[in-house]
Amino acid sequence: MYPRPIPESAPLQRRLYMAVLGLVLLVWLLPLIAVTMTSFRSTQDIMSGNYWGWPVAPTLIGNYAQVFAQTPMARFFANSLVITIPSVLLVLVLSTLNGFVLSRYRFRGATLLFAVFVGGNFLPHQILMIPVRDLMVKAGLYDTFYALILFHVAFQTGFATLFMRNFIASLPGELFDAARAEGVSALQVLWYIVVPLLRPALAALAVLTFTFIWNDYFWAVVLTQSDSVKPVTAGLANLKGEWLSAWNVVAAATMIAAIPPVAMFFLMQRHFIAGLTAGAVKG
Amino acid sequence: MTASLQLHQIEKNFHGVPVLRGISLDIEEGEFVVMVGPSGCGKSTLLRAIAGLDTVSSGRMTIKGRDVTRLEPVDRGIAMVFQSYALYPHMTVAENMGFGLRMARRPPAEVDQAVKRAAEILRITDLLHRKPKQLSGGQRQRVAIGRAITRSPEIFLFDEPLSNLDAALRTQMRVELSTLHAALGATMVYVTHDQVEAMTMATRIVVLNAGLVEQVGTPLALYHQPANRFVAGFLGSPRMNFLAAVVQAVGEAHAVVATPGLPPLTLGVTDTTELKPGAAVTLGIRPEKLRIVAADANDATGFPAQVRLVEQLGRETVLYADASPLQTQGSDSGTSNVTVQLGAMSRRAPGDAIRLAFDPADAYLFAASGKTLSVAAANPS
Repeated sequence: MYPRPIPESAPLQRRLYMAVLGLVLLVWLLPLIAVTMTSFRSTQDIMSGNYWGWPVAPTLIGNYAQVFAQTPMARFFANSLVITIPSVLLVLVLSTLNGFVLSRYRFRGATLLFAVFVGGNFLPHQILMIPVRDLMVKAGLYDTFYALILFHVAFQTGFATLFMRNFIASLPGELFDAARAEGVSALQVLWYIVVPLLRPALAALAVLTFTFIWNDYFWAVVLTQSDSVKPVTAGLANLKGEWLSAWNVVAAATMIAAIPPVAMFFLMQRHFIAGLTAGAVKG
Repeated sequence: MTASLQLHQIEKNFHGVPVLRGISLDIEEGEFVVMVGPSGCGKSTLLRAIAGLDTVSSGRMTIKGRDVTRLEPVDRGIAMVFQSYALYPHMTVAENMGFGLRMARRPPAEVDQAVKRAAEILRITDLLHRKPKQLSGGQRQRVAIGRAITRSPEIFLFDEPLSNLDAALRTQMRVELSTLHAALGATMVYVTHDQVEAMTMATRIVVLNAGLVEQVGTPLALYHQPANRFVAGFLGSPRMNFLAAVVQAVGEAHAVVATPGLPPLTLGVTDTTELKPGAAVTLGIRPEKLRIVAADANDATGFPAQVRLVEQLGRETVLYADASPLQTQGSDSGTSNVTVQLGAMSRRAPGDAIRLAFDPADAYLFAASGKTLSVAAANPS
């Protein structure tokens, strides 16, 4: 069942393998390639229906300049940052606190509490659309940044808590005993021992949560209305309406919207160092 | 001498299962007490209870006369060294050793001083800026001990600190720990399942079994005068040979016992209350007290045997010999073979027919309850 290397003695199979691999990769990347190409196309190309061929008179930054000159994309982009960054930070803080308590302390109802965190993940978000919107309207938060931040924090924390709890539970228990024997308080343990050891988990979780929140379209549409609050995903959809024929500009805007999650990944990548706990206990 | 640590009727139940069943113990200032026992005997639980990491169900615990039963570990004046070292992986050696003091907001100069002193005692000054993962197992354990020293505790607690080290390093660390104990003069409580560690390092050994103290005493006292069959079997490697026997006659201070394969033996006993003719008893003979005699020797306690397995240890030789109808019980080898330890190299090979003998004065007699009845071999000579 497990993948076995194709032996050197079967050159045909090896070449076939490489060819299929290339093909799958191409299919996988096709939409991305199309969007990238389109973002460099001139308006003539779009008008003449040249969506897949080589761009005639490509423009390198023309469409990108247009995005900022003619659409409120800069605003949407800033909105997305204002929504995503505090949400991610809050999720990280809350889930670390939750995870620490749930993995290291025994108290009545701990399992139930954990089950609630985990169980929340199984709810399809869509069924919450009307109640959450009503809630936000009644709370006076509808069409504000707070609505999206609050919702994302509430909903991402469930999964993040599961993630953090399991990570903290995997840290050697004797580390905590040793700290306790030395009279180190729970908060000191959290800050000086757990958080430094959690760095890879925090980095991974930051990337995941950032991507989820940044790419969210559904709640952006449900909970916002005005351009001053709309994040980039909902904003892109707006462009389509207003600039129906300008697919090249929409494509350029899409590219811009996709940058932060990718940047985030490369930024955090160096923290994904496995075996950060090596040396704590026998190893 | 005041008692450094006093345990009074310590009991602990875990989900209704008794783990510690009324343990009382006085440990004097400066003692090196080793608690030893098979896995699951409660020794680690007891140590964690002394440390304050686990609570006890009932009983009282004092350190230097202070009741610490309900205190947090830090308020008890203890420092603990763990089997897995439990070093903080993201801190350097110096940071690891000074962490507790730093968290207690002691002045940095004092922390540095304490770390420096501990590092000098353990000769790890040149490692202070390394991270734990850059250290070998022995070095890590030394850092863990250093972390304990930094706190200048009343009592050091060690939880199987050498179990993760290889054999050579373990021997070395054993010597170092003994030296450290002599140098610091501190009270140390050490838990291990390794009877060699217990025998070599302890000023007193506490043998635990099933949550109870079986016997407390100096290593040699326990070896030569085990209070019961459990202690006799637990200390000493290879293990004592145990033979099922039946009492034939009971005298003022002696008993005559018979076992298949041997003529009736007359053994001196101290306690005859559990002895009456027909009672089942156990005979114990240490492997080093058995010797090979000439095949035609007219030895009263001699018996023929056939060598099954030979373990050459260079300085000594251990033979496992089939001496049926004489059969041992619960031996290390899992057979009813007799274990013989010879103090020299031996050319015996499996299949050799030999004749074994022992001095009845070296034999132990255990009652059915396990209690030692004989005065035998009380002389260590």
